[in-house]
Amino acid sequence: MKIDKKILNEIQDIVGKENATDNEVILESYTYNWCVEFINVMEGKDPIPFWHKPIAVVLPSTTEEVQKFVKLCNKYHLKFKAQSTGLGPWNQPSEDDVIVVDLRRMNKIVKIDPKNMYCVVEPYVTGAQLQAELLKYGLNCHMPGAGPQVSPLASSTSMCGPGFTSSSTGFSGRNVLGTEWVLPTGEILRLGSLSLKENSDWFHGDGPGPSLRGIMRGFIGTKSGLGIFTRVAIKLFPFPCNIKQLEIKNIIPNYDFDIPNYMQFHLISCKNYETLELAFDRIEKEGITFMCFHTSTYGLHTIFSNTQEELMNRAVASPRIKNPLVVLITANTKREFEYKEKVLKTAIEELKVKDVVATGKYIPPNIAYAEALRSALGMHGFLATGAFQSTHGSMDTSRLCRVLMERNLPLKKEYIDKGLIGNDEGKGNWSTSYEHGHFYHIETPTMYDQTKVESVEGFVEYLDRCNKLDLVEHLGIPFFIEGDKMHDWYGPQCSNYHIWLRKIKTKFDPNFVADSGFYISPEKEENKTT
Amino acid sequence: MNNQIKKKLIEICGIENVNDGQEVLEKYSKDQSLVDPIKPLLVVFPENTDQVQDIIKLANQNNISIIPISSPNKYRFHGDTVPKSDNTIIMNLSKMNKILRIDKKNRVIMVEPGVTFGELIDVAGKNGLRLLNPLFPRKSKSVLSSALEREPPIVPRFQWDSSDPLLCTEVIFGTGDYFRTGIAAGPGTIEEQIESGQAQKNPMGPTQFSPYRLIQGAQGCFGVVTWATIKCEYLYDTEKLMFSQSDNFEDFFDFMRYLIKYRTADEVFIVNKVNLAALLGTDISNLSNLKDWILITNFTGMGQFGEDRISYILADINDVINDYNIKLTETLGNIDNSKIFEIIHETCEESWRLKYKGGFQDIFYLTTLDNTVLHYNLVSKMTDLELGVYIQPINQGCGVHCEFDLYYNPADTNEGSIKKSFLEISKKLMDIGAFFNRPYGLWADEMYARVSNETISALRRVKEIFDPNNIMNRGALCFKEE
Amino acid sequence: MPFEDYEDTIKKCLRCSLCKWIPQIQIKSQKYASICPSIDYYNYHTYSGGGKIILALSIYLNRLEPSEDLADIVYKCSTCGGCAISCKYLNKLEPLEIIYELRELLVEKGIGPMPKQKLYAEYAMEKHNPYNEPPEQRMDWVSEDIKISKNAKIAYFVGCTSSYRRKEIAKATAKILNKAGVEFQLLGSDEWCCGSPLLRTGMKKEALELMNHNLDLIESLGIEEVVFSCAGCYSTFKAHYPRYRKYNFKVTHTSELFNRLIDEGKLKLKENLKIKVTYHDPCHLGRDSEPYPEWNGKMVEVMPLISIPVPPKPLRRGTNGTYEPPRNVLKKIPGIDFVEMERIKEYSYCCGAGGGVKAQYPDFALFAAKNRIDEAESTGAESLISACPFCATNLKDAIDDSGSKLKFYDLSELLLKSLEDKEE
Repeated sequence: MKIDKKILNEIQDIVGKENATDNEVILESYTYNWCVEFINVMEGKDPIPFWHKPIAVVLPSTTEEVQKFVKLCNKYHLKFKAQSTGLGPWNQPSEDDVIVVDLRRMNKIVKIDPKNMYCVVEPYVTGAQLQAELLKYGLNCHMPGAGPQVSPLASSTSMCGPGFTSSSTGFSGRNVLGTEWVLPTGEILRLGSLSLKENSDWFHGDGPGPSLRGIMRGFIGTKSGLGIFTRVAIKLFPFPCNIKQLEIKNIIPNYDFDIPNYMQFHLISCKNYETLELAFDRIEKEGITFMCFHTSTYGLHTIFSNTQEELMNRAVASPRIKNPLVVLITANTKREFEYKEKVLKTAIEELKVKDVVATGKYIPPNIAYAEALRSALGMHGFLATGAFQSTHGSMDTSRLCRVLMERNLPLKKEYIDKGLIGNDEGKGNWSTSYEHGHFYHIETPTMYDQTKVESVEGFVEYLDRCNKLDLVEHLGIPFFIEGDKMHDWYGPQCSNYHIWLRKIKTKFDPNFVADSGFYISPEKEENKTT
Repeated sequence: MNNQIKKKLIEICGIENVNDGQEVLEKYSKDQSLVDPIKPLLVVFPENTDQVQDIIKLANQNNISIIPISSPNKYRFHGDTVPKSDNTIIMNLSKMNKILRIDKKNRVIMVEPGVTFGELIDVAGKNGLRLLNPLFPRKSKSVLSSALEREPPIVPRFQWDSSDPLLCTEVIFGTGDYFRTGIAAGPGTIEEQIESGQAQKNPMGPTQFSPYRLIQGAQGCFGVVTWATIKCEYLYDTEKLMFSQSDNFEDFFDFMRYLIKYRTADEVFIVNKVNLAALLGTDISNLSNLKDWILITNFTGMGQFGEDRISYILADINDVINDYNIKLTETLGNIDNSKIFEIIHETCEESWRLKYKGGFQDIFYLTTLDNTVLHYNLVSKMTDLELGVYIQPINQGCGVHCEFDLYYNPADTNEGSIKKSFLEISKKLMDIGAFFNRPYGLWADEMYARVSNETISALRRVKEIFDPNNIMNRGALCFKEE
Repeated sequence: MPFEDYEDTIKKCLRCSLCKWIPQIQIKSQKYASICPSIDYYNYHTYSGGGKIILALSIYLNRLEPSEDLADIVYKCSTCGGCAISCKYLNKLEPLEIIYELRELLVEKGIGPMPKQKLYAEYAMEKHNPYNEPPEQRMDWVSEDIKISKNAKIAYFVGCTSSYRRKEIAKATAKILNKAGVEFQLLGSDEWCCGSPLLRTGMKKEALELMNHNLDLIESLGIEEVVFSCAGCYSTFKAHYPRYRKYNFKVTHTSELFNRLIDEGKLKLKENLKIKVTYHDPCHLGRDSEPYPEWNGKMVEVMPLISIPVPPKPLRRGTNGTYEPPRNVLKKIPGIDFVEMERIKEYSYCCGAGGGVKAQYPDFALFAAKNRIDEAESTGAESLISACPFCATNLKDAIDDSGSKLKFYDLSELLLKSLEDKEE
């Protein structure tokens, strides 16, 4: 379908002529995304990275424009799909005839409030941009593992949110304060202290009374299925070391960095997953880490390499580190640093594990310290093959992470042996502590070749088996359980949550204008109970 | 009708758990607040989740309102559990008082609603854990209710989300449906989840919504929580109190921000001398050697290097303290530090606020630290009553709980004038942006009148989902019947 | 088949948007975080490096036909190559090469280039300069006080823009060479357009004609070193010509030569300037002057699904651009207080003039240049220095249009001032 020109004109009247288009070439570029090929396979289609073509793309610049646009969608019964920085298939329209709302022009840092430790951002402020401005105040923000180029607003309101610094900066969904949100009805909903008619402020996200953050998102967000978030206040953290600017030396790709005072990586080799679990709990006990995460040995080489050559060299020349736990200690003062190092050293001794950095066997490059500070380690994951996606993705305890890793190992090996997914010996996991060990996250990044049909199909089959494993072995709900099919599968075995989620969708999107391919569709008329 | 209901409730809970004696009804018709009394139909004491569910289903069938409570009558203060209509049953959950699990490894405790701070602080401590408790909680206070009502913990560095320490819950919604929130939702039973290593810690979800946030702060309007997991911390091995005094509480602000920013201090809060006296259970005249405002902060350490932690923090503070223009002391006048430890770590037999003069009305809300100065200046001019002040940073420094306690002796005070003063001050504070995030009793109408229509409309839509017949605490919050 | 050389990589765009920004760890402020003028101005993802890769893949998969709409998007790009630098920090895609391929395809299909670009290409072929100026006037800038040495082993390749539009650069360059005692010759009216504007708008065939003329000429004169004051000509000779035809003479940018001459004591710098300056890296002198690395290896499957190039395939990352010589010159001029902008060297922000944009989309070109002027002003500098006549034109236009108090000098102009007696 093509959009009715009259409607397009009305949209252009709202956002300006140049900011809404049905140009076929532009639309084509909005049909593509990372990992779409396996979604296509799941739908029984060819494994190509192109999905449904939108009928228009709109670039609003203010909340009011978003509101007017959404009201127009209600008037004409048109569906929309919003995206911020737009990485991943969940940014795509899940059906035909949808209008993409690209929030790129909403890119203001509305406020940095160092006294009350929060900032307010619009959708297209990236993590790196925000952090650069926060650093001027000695502050830091949590960033998701996807990297500093993605939107903190999207992560906080609409996506998931584990990150490499989660041990000290938490989880995106838990750092949310006041929020401004255009509901699918076109109403502008403001959460918490922002809901006051007068003297509203951003510092708190709950109430008065019940917190509407409860419908805003869960462990994962609604991915535009319940409206468009236009501004959000997020909690800030102290910058982990006492510097005002990160000066990167040399020319790409040989960037170098003077490691700031009081900063030290530790790579702890754990003989098995049981030891890893113990190490997680013990090391997080006193709350000393800036980063505390597990990755496979191969993953470790990847995050410490900037070129494929370097990666291969590390893979060949480095000592074998079993089940590595990566710990980054940071401090603002010498005393703090010495205390933290002392605690860690003792914990390592208690655990009878080895720190291969302390023994001089593995030296993380200087630039890794800068990338750690800037939450830029995640993108290294693409260095080797160009493609991976995670399966599982639950969050609870270190024991759960261990159990999941142990039970997933034979399953993953089965697909590796078939040559369908990349060979990480079945140990390609990523697990991180949040809030100094209060929660632990586990996902299993899996390499596949998106250009090979059998590999994409193999990955899809493996993903499905992972989802089944979680269900049968009670390993939590994977983070890709979204969309009707998945919810209707998992819901009946998880407190029938899908029924409630669907009721929320029904109440808040009565005309079903928010594309819900990655959320849930409303109740069917005959099933409505309220 | 009444008898039929009673009969059915007796069938559900047993005769010993249903009470409609006039004296009891009289008792439950009011609390210590200034809300007008209305007698409930009866009081029922369920003993398990099934009974809670049956009661809610019965209420739905008979259009009866249910108010869940967990605390003894004497210590209900804010009018939220006073019936707002004639057709109300009080569901007293104090008999559901089991500590279901203590999990030191995962720093979490699972409790039923009737578990009290008096019991749990002790039990947690014996298991190497500490609770994120509010300031000097009453011994009989329900731990679950406190978390459910977002009472501010006194250690802001451990409050990573404003919902802490509440984690997962088991809930019967107003529809009568059973649900578990967060990762507890499934897959698997709680036992199966524990088998796979889980501890019902992740409060978010299941998947794309977080119903625990809806039932938190809802004053029972969406359902009844029958157990919850509570986020705890490891017990410290060593601790060090530090104090500062000033004639002007603003003097503390920058230093407090430093403590909060770097997450060094555990307990950190400001009280005025009146509230310090109330907390200590003494008369203010005994504190004449203290300045009007007191900053109390406590540093802890654990394990082999616990003392080292405190030492480095204090040495670092010593390096910068001159920048903050305040003086820190290890003791507070001639008050024994053990008294202060009692306030921050233990429970009081009787509400410390109530005990002070026999009567009090507390006005509390959220704001930012700077705003408290303006608010105090305003409130202090609006009342002649003895005024207690308590300022508690929350959520790792994003805002503060600000509390003004109006103390009086009920015997020589006119309740009407107190009510007038209470409302006037509350309204004035609301007018200048005080965010009453827990809008109890008399505040509800005033607060929601100041909240955007979209927010109220959204809350009502949620209410229609989880309590379509409006049986849960009917008339509370913004859920008045039109 | 278009995009054949890039078949593997065009299927692997992550749509991560790294191509829109300078390398993430270099971002120092919100304001100067972007690297792509095109996405900054046009906003739709389509305009980014990644967006163009998607379009290429669509064409490759026969989902999209070359069209005027496609051309309008593909040509709204200054081909600055910033996207490619940021992408290749950790990935291996070649968005800039894809943009060139898209343009070549559009030309092949008779859709590209855009009308004004087509016109200057015709001029370049007819008059050997894109400005439609008489070839015989190519040396009009040469004043009497400039000494030309007819048979010198060094040739100064002036370039069309300095010959006809920014004569002050040509003059300053020649005077400096004279002062240093460097003997050089000019190619005069036999100097033809280097082909850069054609090469970058997809007219490779015509560009190679120009290349062959220039190389034939230089080689026939036995010239050992060719000096360029134009960054565009320099990168075309240094990085692009060798892909199609090897040559044996040395190519040098004036910034490199000036730096060398100062070090050799051949230029006596005077303390007659007191000025705070910042420097704009021209894309063509910086990242685009890096030669295309040769690789004759093969992809080896090291484990199922994972193939790596053996030997390792060097990527054109901007590592070997010309960054330090112009900075060194500035740092050596007495009285100069040199400050850097946030976006520099391999991740410098484009002035917006290149890739045919200045001719076809002047509003876009001006937008990018104003962005750069704003950044230059933020350093507190009084003057903006660069080393490319095309950047000079566009940046000066932006200074005029925005009412900025910044002064613009080509490196040669500033250096010449420090060699003269007049105080500033």
